[in-house]
Amino acid sequence: MVDVKKIKKKLVKAGFADIGVSEFNGGVRLTGEAERYEDVLECGTLAVAKGSRGVINDVKVKGYVPEKMRVSPVSDDKYDGKSPDVLVIGGGIVGAAIARELTKYALSVTLVEKEYDIATGQSARNDGMIHAGIDLKPASNKVKYNCRGNAMYPELSKELDVPIEMCGQCVLYTARWQKILFPLIKLRGAKNGIPVEKLDNEGVKKLIPSPGIKYGGFMCPSAGILSPYLMTVALAENAAKNGAEICTDTAVTAIVNDGEKITAVKTNRGTFYPKVVVNAAGVYSDVIAEWAGDRHFTIHPRRGVEAVLDKKARKTTSTVIGKFVIKSSTGKGHTKGGGVIVTIDGNLILGPSASETPERENEATTAKEFDEVFEKQKKLAPELKRSDVITYFAGTRAATYEEEFVVEKSPVIKNLVQAAGIQSPGVTAAPAIAKDVAKWAAEIVFDGKVKMNENFDPIRKGIPRPAEMEPEARKKLIEENPDYGVVVCRCEEVTKGEIVEALRRPAAVMAVDAVKRRVRAGMGRCQGGFCTPLVMKIISEECGIPLNEVRKKGAGSEIAPRYTKGGDK
Amino acid sequence: MTERLETICIVCPNGCRLVAERKGNAIEVRGNKCPRGIAYAEAEMTAPTRSFTGTVASVFAEMPVVPVRTAGEVPKDKIKEIAAQTREILLKRAYATGEVAEANICGTGVDLIVTADMRKVVGNTEGV
Amino acid sequence: MRYAAIVIGGGPAGMAAACAADGTKKVLIIEREARLGGILKQCVHDGFGVIRFGEKLSGPEYADRFIDEVYSRKNIDVRTLTFVTGIEKRDGYFVVTTTSGKGIVSYEGENLILACGCRERTARQVNIHGTRPAGLMTAGAAQNLVNLQGVNPAGKCVILGSGDIGLIMARRLTLEGSTVIGVYEAKSAPSGLSRNLQQCLYDFDIPLHLKKTVTLVHGRDRVEGVTVADVDDEMRPIAGTEEYIPCDALIVSVGLIPENELAEKLGIITDPKTKGPIVDQYMMTTLDGVYSVGNALHVHDLVDYVSEVAETAGKDAGRRKERATIEVGSRGLGYIVPQKVDVLNQEEYTVYYFRTARETGKAKLTVTVNGVEIYSKKYSALRPPEAERVRIKHSLKAGDELKFVLEEEDDRKA
Repeated sequence: MVDVKKIKKKLVKAGFADIGVSEFNGGVRLTGEAERYEDVLECGTLAVAKGSRGVINDVKVKGYVPEKMRVSPVSDDKYDGKSPDVLVIGGGIVGAAIARELTKYALSVTLVEKEYDIATGQSARNDGMIHAGIDLKPASNKVKYNCRGNAMYPELSKELDVPIEMCGQCVLYTARWQKILFPLIKLRGAKNGIPVEKLDNEGVKKLIPSPGIKYGGFMCPSAGILSPYLMTVALAENAAKNGAEICTDTAVTAIVNDGEKITAVKTNRGTFYPKVVVNAAGVYSDVIAEWAGDRHFTIHPRRGVEAVLDKKARKTTSTVIGKFVIKSSTGKGHTKGGGVIVTIDGNLILGPSASETPERENEATTAKEFDEVFEKQKKLAPELKRSDVITYFAGTRAATYEEEFVVEKSPVIKNLVQAAGIQSPGVTAAPAIAKDVAKWAAEIVFDGKVKMNENFDPIRKGIPRPAEMEPEARKKLIEENPDYGVVVCRCEEVTKGEIVEALRRPAAVMAVDAVKRRVRAGMGRCQGGFCTPLVMKIISEECGIPLNEVRKKGAGSEIAPRYTKGGDK
Repeated sequence: MTERLETICIVCPNGCRLVAERKGNAIEVRGNKCPRGIAYAEAEMTAPTRSFTGTVASVFAEMPVVPVRTAGEVPKDKIKEIAAQTREILLKRAYATGEVAEANICGTGVDLIVTADMRKVVGNTEGV
Repeated sequence: MRYAAIVIGGGPAGMAAACAADGTKKVLIIEREARLGGILKQCVHDGFGVIRFGEKLSGPEYADRFIDEVYSRKNIDVRTLTFVTGIEKRDGYFVVTTTSGKGIVSYEGENLILACGCRERTARQVNIHGTRPAGLMTAGAAQNLVNLQGVNPAGKCVILGSGDIGLIMARRLTLEGSTVIGVYEAKSAPSGLSRNLQQCLYDFDIPLHLKKTVTLVHGRDRVEGVTVADVDDEMRPIAGTEEYIPCDALIVSVGLIPENELAEKLGIITDPKTKGPIVDQYMMTTLDGVYSVGNALHVHDLVDYVSEVAETAGKDAGRRKERATIEVGSRGLGYIVPQKVDVLNQEEYTVYYFRTARETGKAKLTVTVNGVEIYSKKYSALRPPEAERVRIKHSLKAGDELKFVLEEEDDRKA
């Protein structure tokens, strides 16, 4: 039971007397209008209560019209009438991991992604950390799935041929006195099986030659790094190999439910009639939950900006550097404060920042956010230079007011399973979340008598990476396919063979940025200045697309839309 | 008729800033480092000319467009017309550097010539 | 077999160096693209070769003259579509490992000539924020698409940066039917050659906006517009001056960076001003036997000088047994190349290239040795985008103090 009166009192006290509070779907629903978005956030935070399923914050900002969900301009009936056993909504790392996990069962699986490719949202817009989880609230879904997921990654990395590196995370104290807290930190780690090691300043220096703060810290050796978009692609490829259908450019526009059960899912490419629906829709997961008939939480998007540094800067540190942030018991301070993160590809990432925004899909960066990120993280490693920055990006994390993952078999809608509100540490948690979600979905479809897919093949071979091979293996590969000898992206030493292979894979997408996420062509210091025309030509030749129709991303992103001489005479 | 002109000489990379003034029948030029600047400024006052550079299409996939230029200078006001005309030209065999892609382009009396040796690039020099 | 010299890069610098190095010994050119010619292949505009050939050639024409020369020489081997993956220094020679469709092949060379050119600074590297849609690209990438592939990225575009490639592309896109709304330049003076301002912008009535920059790119799939703003003297955008300009492309021409990743891996010391290796008058870097030429050494305005410098290096490869260098000191210069002079092996004349640190009116360059003037030259005006070349006769010895001083004439009176 929710104590609505108590919440109302809190809101009145905070100056929000006009906001309506009611119990709804086991949670707390807020209605009314506020002057500013900050007020909406404050109301939502005040409405978090024990015994509640969550906050349904319908408070509107006066005069603000929220953006519409971006739907691909593609419109056809390609998938109309399909009736998969399970329909997964969302092609981020969570959705892709769930789709793969589902193919372990004897089920037909379809994944719909509204963008032109999988892994274009937050799954591509994070720093790629496999978190240790030391900073997470004990006994939360977050810490549970984070620790399970962390432990699953070494095997997943082998199965999917996606490199990971357990480089550890070094957390620096910001004041000398903080070292007295170490026993508490160690104890907290022990509760969740997270090893923690003490580091004095000399110990820090072995990992980070010139640290910006010199009070020592501690090390979480179970933290690691990976390419989050490559992992998402690999999960989707392996799911597709095992029979899952990946439908990109496919946006859910409506869900038909009778109050107990979902009967149809409408998209821009036709209506699906699935037996079970999985909500893994990221920043739109509350909207999908509402359409599906079981909304009990609200996503308030949290923006993060991160900067990518040249590989030359990697010498600054051998490990991920974070700053020790003491959280108050009220659960405030939702960011871990970001850090200096080494990437699996040899770059450094600085960030992320954390700022609240009503815009779910605004991925534009601003100079102010970038400056803040750079100046803040530079304090951890003062050698970092602005001239080392090669690019920067922004993403929006799907935060709920409870700051908790919603991972559940819906108690309201019989054929709905939700993996919603997955923000940091979502990449780490994804494989573990997928295990539970897939199991629940299978139980619903099979009505208890779960049947496994005996032909499931967990192995996905990665695209060969000649630049990282021993000379003999590289020679042999080029003998078999000379395209692996021809370098197209000079900064990242990516060959034509890799690009062609990326275009032939299951779940491949014929776009320059899709190729970039799969093989890193264009991710180096020239940012595609030299290789973009070459990659365009390869896409054109390999896929039979006229050069003027080759796209950077989705529909409408043709890079050079006109032939200068008026077409192919 | 222009009485006074301030311009930048484009004859060579020096980029001299020229001032040309009509003094009776003569044109006085200042700012030039060499005699070519005088000729340039005089032409700018009376009948400015430019060379045109661009591309034309070819039938070869290895070289879908081929660089061209006018063999000499053409009236400046003809440049856009020539640019439009280059969209109509299609090279059907492999030309050598200096070969004429279109003679007397747009009636200027100047030829449009190919400025790359296509024979080095395309395999089948016979064309289609 | 061991080559006398291995040239990395088959653009104008690499080809000129190889031709000059070709005596009786074998020379190898390694080129990562399918054809020799480097960036000249896509420079269809003219103005190349005025100094060297007395003709206004297009880029491909200029390149062709060297390509013909290279292929006519029996002693020059060429490997195209071949990429250098590593260089190892051994005792008295270098091992260059390459990858190509033919496999992994290593070549040995007594000397190395690095002619890898330069890359373009990107929008994100000059603090442009917003989105990263199609239509946002560097001028060089746009030039490649238009001039080599025959496809046009721009309908209505804004060009940021008044460097030569930006100016050339403003004209080129206009002639291909695009609308160039304007060229924006954060500096208070244009960065390109003066003649390009005239023949690429003024001739086509394309406006040039100084002290203005692009701050934001809008549009998710394709560029929908950009925000431009005035900048202060430190080139920071001034709040309140923002203006939204609808367009479908932003072409960025904001500077070139010498490509010296191979040189850096060899431990060669670079000059922070040129961003290229520190060299002596024969373009030998701080590592004996390794030369740096072309835009990898410093960004040149004119290909004619690229060829000249590369030939100096090519001729020298393998010639000197030992060297002893002194520093070239300077004041008032943006940079000077060479930064060192080998006093053991001097020619009668030594060629220096320099840029002024800032725009000047009348100025005087004075060269002194141990405080004694040996050369002076007066200039009516100097601009940083336009490099100057001087030939100086000197005979230096170890311990001499050589200094180049550039002073604006008005400065001296004050």
